[in-house]
Parts: sequence; C-alpha cells; structure tokens
Amino acid sequence: MKLIEALAILKSMRTRKGGTFACFLAAGLNPLHLKTLLSAELSQLFRDHIIDIQDGLYDDFFGNLDRLAEADVEAGIVLIEWSDLDPRLGIRSPARWIPSECADILSTAAGRALRIQCMLEEISQRLPVVLCLPTLPVPPISFVPGWQTSSFELDLRAIVQSISSKASQCAQVRILSAQRIDLVSPLRERLEVESEVLTGFPYRLPHASALAALLASLTRGPIAKKGLITDLDDTLWRGILGEVGVEGISWDLDHHSQMHAFYQRFLGALASEGVLIGVASKNERSLVEEALQREDLALSSTTIFPVEAGWGSKSQAVARILKTWNVGPDSVVFVDDSPLELAEVKASYPQVECIQFPTKDSASVYDLTLRLRDLFGKSAIFEEDTIRIESIRCSSVATEFSDAATPTSADFLEGVEAQITFDFTQTPLDPRGLELVNKTNQFNLNGKRYTESSWRNYFLNPESFLLLVSYRDKFGPLGKIAVLGGRRNGKKLTIDTWVMSCRAFSRRIEYKCLEELFEKFEVAEIELDYSKTERNAPLREFLGKTLGTDPSPGCIISRGAFEVRSEILEKAQEVMNG
Amino acid sequence: MDEKELRLAECFLAVFPGINTDEIAKACSTSVQGWDSVANVTLLAVVEEEFGVNLEGEDLARFDSFSGILSYLRDAEKCTWT
Repeated sequence: MKLIEALAILKSMRTRKGGTFACFLAAGLNPLHLKTLLSAELSQLFRDHIIDIQDGLYDDFFGNLDRLAEADVEAGIVLIEWSDLDPRLGIRSPARWIPSECADILSTAAGRALRIQCMLEEISQRLPVVLCLPTLPVPPISFVPGWQTSSFELDLRAIVQSISSKASQCAQVRILSAQRIDLVSPLRERLEVESEVLTGFPYRLPHASALAALLASLTRGPIAKKGLITDLDDTLWRGILGEVGVEGISWDLDHHSQMHAFYQRFLGALASEGVLIGVASKNERSLVEEALQREDLALSSTTIFPVEAGWGSKSQAVARILKTWNVGPDSVVFVDDSPLELAEVKASYPQVECIQFPTKDSASVYDLTLRLRDLFGKSAIFEEDTIRIESIRCSSVATEFSDAATPTSADFLEGVEAQITFDFTQTPLDPRGLELVNKTNQFNLNGKRYTESSWRNYFLNPESFLLLVSYRDKFGPLGKIAVLGGRRNGKKLTIDTWVMSCRAFSRRIEYKCLEELFEKFEVAEIELDYSKTERNAPLREFLGKTLGTDPSPGCIISRGAFEVRSEILEKAQEVMNG
Repeated sequence: MDEKELRLAECFLAVFPGINTDEIAKACSTSVQGWDSVANVTLLAVVEEEFGVNLEGEDLARFDSFSGILSYLRDAEKCTWT
C-alpha cells in the first residue's frame, strides 16, 4: 500500500459509525509512516470500526512497554529493533564501536531481552500481543568482513531467538514470521538511513508497508476457511483415472509426479488440523473408491469426506458437499486443474475461492500450498478440530438413520445415547468459546463478533455468565458446540451471545440450553439480545417456535410459556416421527 | 494546472484533508492549518513516493510551499532530461 492510499483510506474511515478498535504500538523508533500504514491496513480488516493506534514516546522502548501494560486497548503491538536491545546498535548513538565493547553490548542486550520476556508475559495476560522482532540488518559492528558471520552477530541473534521462544509459549502472543517478511521485503531495501538520521524513522516506505500489512493481519488474527474440495485427475494425482486405470495414476519421483504427493501430504496435514477435505470428480465412482484405497496414497482416504464422483456438473457436486458439511460457500476453497470446471463452480458459487491446480509446474504447486496455508492457517488447534470430520461422517449416518426430513425426537436422542454437558467455568476462559462465537453464522443470536480483549472484558463483569455446551452420542463426540454469554439481573437473565455449531442442529440442544439456564439461575424470564442477520434463519426459526411469534430485538421468554411450548413441540415431533 | 501540478495537488489533499482546493496552488507552511513538522515529513514522503524522487536534505528549505515543491520537481525533471 502506498502512503497516499493509506491517507485516503484514513480520510474515509472518519465517517464510520461502528465502534473503535484501539491498539497500542510500543516501539523505541518514531512510528511515523508505519503508524499511518498500519491504521489503514487495520481499517481494511475492521471495516466498520474507527482505528485508534496509540503510541508512546520516541526512544523510550521500555517506557512504552509500561504504557502498553496500562493502556485501555484491544491489542498491543510490540516492535523491537536492534537499538532497543542496546542503543549502541543504532545509527544515532555516539558510542564507540570497538571489539572490546561487543561483550558489553551482548550483556546489555541479554538483560533487556529478559526484561522484554517478562513484560510480554505480563501484558499478554491481559491483552493479545503481536510481536515483531528486529527486521533491519545488523549494523557493521563486528570486525569480520560482511560475508562472514561473526560470533557477535550469532550471539545477538540467539538473544533475539530467546525472546521469541519464550514469547511463543504465551497463549496470547502472536509473533510475526521472519520468513514471511524476508519473502515480501528484501533485506537490503529495508533501512532508510537518511530518514533514521533526520526523524528517527528507519524504514523505507515499501518495508513499512509490508510490515504494516503483516502486523495488521496478526493483530486481527486468522479467519480460516473451513473446507477444501479437490478434483482428482491431474490434481490429487497425475493422470486420468478413466484412461490409465488405478495403477496408471501416479504421485512419485519415478513418474515425475512427486508434487502430487506433496499436495496429498499437505491435504493430510490440513485434515489433521480440522479442515474438511472433500472430493468432486468426474469419474466412475467404483474406480475412484478403488484408487483412494491405494496403500501408497500420501493421505488417508478416511480423512476425505464426502467423495462426490459421477458425471454431473462440478457445481452440483460442490452443492452436495456444502450440504453435507453444512457450511457456507464463503468458507470453502475449490481446487481443480481445469479452468472450465473452476469457472462453472464460480458461476454457481461466487463466494467459493476457486484455485487452479498447476499440473506439471512443480514450483507453482509449492506456491499453491503456501497460499492454502494462509487461507486455512489458524493460531491454535482445538480438540474439536481433530474430531470434526469424524463427527460429520457420523452425523451423516445419524441423519440417514433418523430421516432427515423430520426434526429429532427425544426418543431418538435417547436411542443414540445423547449426552449434553454444560460447563459454566469462566476462569480461565476457554478459547474455543470465542472461536465459535466468531465463526458461527446460522445459529447466531445477533451476529456480534468479539475481539479477544472485548470477550475477556465482557466476563470481568461479576453479573456475567458463560455457558459452554458439549455433546456426544453413540456415533462419537461433537465436542464443544454451543456458547451462551449473558448477564444476570435479579430475576431476569439476559443472553447477549448465543451460537451453536451447525453440526449440532436437530438434537434439541437449544431447548436443553434454555432449560438449563432457567434451572441453574432460577429466573422467571430470559431476555434475548436478538438481531436478525442475513444468515441466522435457523435461530430465528427456533425462537419463532419457542415464542409462538417472530422474534424481535429484546424479546423475552418466560419460563412458564417456554415449558408449555417446549412440551407441545416435543409431542408434535413425536407424532411427526411416528 | 498541468498534470504535474494536479498530481502534487493530490498529495496535498491527502496530507491536508481540510485544505480548500482553490487555495492549494498558494499553500505554504504558514497558511495551511496543521502543517507542522510531522505533516511536513509525511508530505515529503508522499511526494517522494508519488514522483519517484529523492528530496535531498539540503533542499528541505524549499519544501515549505506548493510552489517550492513544484519548482523542485520541475528542476529535477530537467536534470533527468539533460
């Protein structure tokens, strides 16, 4: 992003009506254009918000860390440069560079690194923190020629490494990838000596721009896609299955098709992280089943579900997969070697990210995996991620078993040994709760999203409560599938947040949640901070049935009316289910 | 205004959003509200980026008005051609 573009974005941001996203940039340098570019990048990611970046004083890195520790903000960004570890490492310092000083510089840097580690640990207890380690070249202090690595530089880098190793163990610290900044901003084009001398801002604009984009992405956190639908022929493997047969397709060095094995391994990794992997292929189903059973396949065929093989259009196959997964097209990536198939799917589902598989171009296949890593990357893996595909497979069986056309009755749930677990623990906050709130669209009370900081602050209110709901039945566990957040006020309970994973629909879990709240808090009424959104029809339908009328903002469910209507609905379902 | 003046005016509008478009040609550090040292550094960075030039430290005194910057850009262009 150019500086003039950033200024234009910031100008248009001032008219926004949403809330403010405040963060604190703690650095020893003069943040100058980096602050402008970062504000603009953040305003592109938080499209309804006004961005407020606070900073401290120039050349007061540790003072600024103290200010961050006290700041009333949503997130902290800590930017370290060499001179923050010892001023002698900066251009503006008048101190001498003589070999005998090197040990003392290392000693100062090690002491400061330790202090930074402690402060990061403390700050991240309260706030999410984004950490950027030095990106500028190490100045020519050591006596060795530039093409030789000095022990001084190695020791200095080890000190920086110690900061990141320690910080990476803090759950709320996200560290900027050194590899990524190296890829997007060449080292020799980062330092602007003139600007550093004149203003204390050491970055060239392209480097500041690259840093700003990455820091903004880290500050928001990843919004990962949920599923990948892949083609088979000349994509998952080399060759056309229908022409060369099961033994003719390949993914190995001997057939110069190794990058298909690389792609398979990558999909296997995604699957193990909770990404849904499905297949849409124009092929004979029996042949596909046989091919997917080949023992040398680099990903387990059990991690792929569903497999849509046949002669219909790819968009129809994608439609069936989306239905099975019960996810929206905007959460899905479709990979195929054929531009025609990609265009056909894109025409039906413009929100699906369609990517061409670059068959016979090894470097581009490698680049594809980098792109997919960005699309599916997440900061943490939860237990639910590891059981997702199995629970969808089981749900699919259970749906066939129960008859998909009718809602599930209590008898059926008893038959499948359904177990619902309610957990009101607020300390420590389970990160799965916030993850569910921020990615659930369909059964969502109002579509409100939270930052890590605003979510934590919400539960600092002593009147607040958090309910995490888990489910399992004889087909397997679904894990934590619903979150309710609210406040108690005398005899009334207010629910501000209520989401439930689409995998848990048709199990009457939503009724059990309300029952549990009435029971636990012994209240007569529950008020709902309901808002209609484009996608929360399932929740709207449930509330309509429970209230006996269309829900409205602030609608109230009384305990008496709920018990009566819940019983009527239960009986109605039993009749429908025969 | 010629094409160079228009591009420079865009730079001024980006850095000083409140500036009156009719007054850009006469703008100087004493007449434009908010033209402080930080705004000056930002303006020069925007101009450098937009015109692909390097505004040298010893010429900084010239860069306190629209006309001063414009004349520098015209001089720089002549140097490039000769």
